[in-house]
Amino acid sequence: MQIRVKCSCGAEKCPEWAVVELQGTVELNASFQTHLQNLQIGQLCRLSSTSQESYTFTVGYHELTGSKVTLKKPLLVLKKVKGFMDVDQNDDNNKKDDLPSSKVELDVIGIIRHKILFKTRPKALISKPQPLVKERTRAAVHTVPN
Amino acid sequence: MEKSSRIKGAESVLNLEPNSSIAIGYHGLFGSHDDTMLLEIDEKLLPDILHQRVTLRGQPDEDSVLCTRSKTYAIKFVGTSNSPLLIPPSGQFALCESSQDFDGGVHDFAPVIKVAHGNMELVEVAPKLDKLKLLLSENPYSYEDVLEMDFMEDVEKNKARLYNWDDLVERVQASDEELRSGLRALSAVEIDGFWRIVDEKYMDMILRMLLHNSVLNDWSLDALNEDDVVSVLVSDGFPDKLAYHCLHVYGSKVDGDVGRSCVWKLDERRVCVHFARQILSTEKKKMETFMAEWLQRIPGGMQASFDMLEGEVLMEKLGIETWVYAFSVSSLPLTPAERFNMLFRERSKWEWKDLQPYLRDLNVPGLSSEGLLLKYTRRAQPTSEAEPVFSSR
Ligand SMILES: [Zn+2]
Repeated sequence: MQIRVKCSCGAEKCPEWAVVELQGTVELNASFQTHLQNLQIGQLCRLSSTSQESYTFTVGYHELTGSKVTLKKPLLVLKKVKGFMDVDQNDDNNKKDDLPSSKVELDVIGIIRHKILFKTRPKALISKPQPLVKERTRAAVHTVPN
Repeated sequence: MEKSSRIKGAESVLNLEPNSSIAIGYHGLFGSHDDTMLLEIDEKLLPDILHQRVTLRGQPDEDSVLCTRSKTYAIKFVGTSNSPLLIPPSGQFALCESSQDFDGGVHDFAPVIKVAHGNMELVEVAPKLDKLKLLLSENPYSYEDVLEMDFMEDVEKNKARLYNWDDLVERVQASDEELRSGLRALSAVEIDGFWRIVDEKYMDMILRMLLHNSVLNDWSLDALNEDDVVSVLVSDGFPDKLAYHCLHVYGSKVDGDVGRSCVWKLDERRVCVHFARQILSTEKKKMETFMAEWLQRIPGGMQASFDMLEGEVLMEKLGIETWVYAFSVSSLPLTPAERFNMLFRERSKWEWKDLQPYLRDLNVPGLSSEGLLLKYTRRAQPTSEAEPVFSSR
């Protein structure tokens, strides 16, 4: 089967998304997990202008420092959507009956060219820790099944 | 001031002024959003993707590939132990503004829609054309098809085993261009909307009829008038589509035309190879027997020579006799691992001059022919003057 990749924003107008990349896994206290929505993770601050764009990210009682990097290759944000079926289906029924008729498409809803990357481990601001960010490692490479 | 007016998006993060800050938090619709994924692509593929010239292809039991018009890419998922927080531009994920109530105090707020634990990457691969060969070999066009033309119901019945262009696109993991060149390499022909390979015995009938008529009508094999050839073959009972196909398979168009008809020249090598394959199609032959039969079948004006048969025929010594047998590169798989497997099953050791004709059509992105040999063969060279010999790894 065939899945079309399209951009419904209209090519050049495809909007840029932002990425703030933190080391480790973002973890929350159990009490928050049921209602994350609108909860603040941290405060992003751009430092006074230097040649390189530097940032701090303050998470709970920790401060991270990082910088804006341009990706070597852009990342596209793809969203799986159910495509619209053609209205004029009545004219030919010799189309492959053995294949599922639901038309899935991938819509390019954004493009990512930069990320604000925090490579440093969190530096405690005050001694009583209540970290939202913890170090974690994860499996690295596997293939996507269809 | 309304709180909702401070909900920002990607643009506020990307364009943050020096000495200013923005709160980063969870979007009202934050979630795993498994239907949203990241794909890393080469800048040069961007126009193709944004202008909708790209598709994912594959059956449910296959790993999807991404196809541009001319190339095929495997899709790999690369995970990360970091947490990339994805922030969409404001307005892209519509929110019910009145429900906003974040704990960010007085700062602007950029909402994170999802944490992306990895992204997909593309790796250029060879198209999966062995499947094309397999599908078309299910039902080659043969003499029976011509007989059946009078009985439309039978043709209808057979359609289950026939494939049109769209069916092939659905089933074969290859870009449009690669699929087209794959069809050309198989000498496939589109008949009544379906792509077919033509049974070799049937091709033999047409070719011999063409040569027979050339003798009868005193045509030159270097300047065949297309209209004359087709009308004669049609009157002999061959469909016109197959008459044209015969010219394409065994000849090429030449410049200069007679009236409005094209002129074709038969290709000496292709015609000679055809007859060699016919002679060896059922059994191996002693070299002298084979050569005698072969030279006798070659049409007048053509010269057969044994080097035409590289990649088609192998020789073996049995006692003092030399025998030849058919072993055609076109019958071998296109996947390198499977190709070498078949080659070493045929012979455990290969000299380069014999091996080379069975490798030159292999095309593996990112791997040269040297690389292929290193990966799949063991090379032995007893002395520096000796020819290298290749065996299985
Ligand atoms: Zn778009």
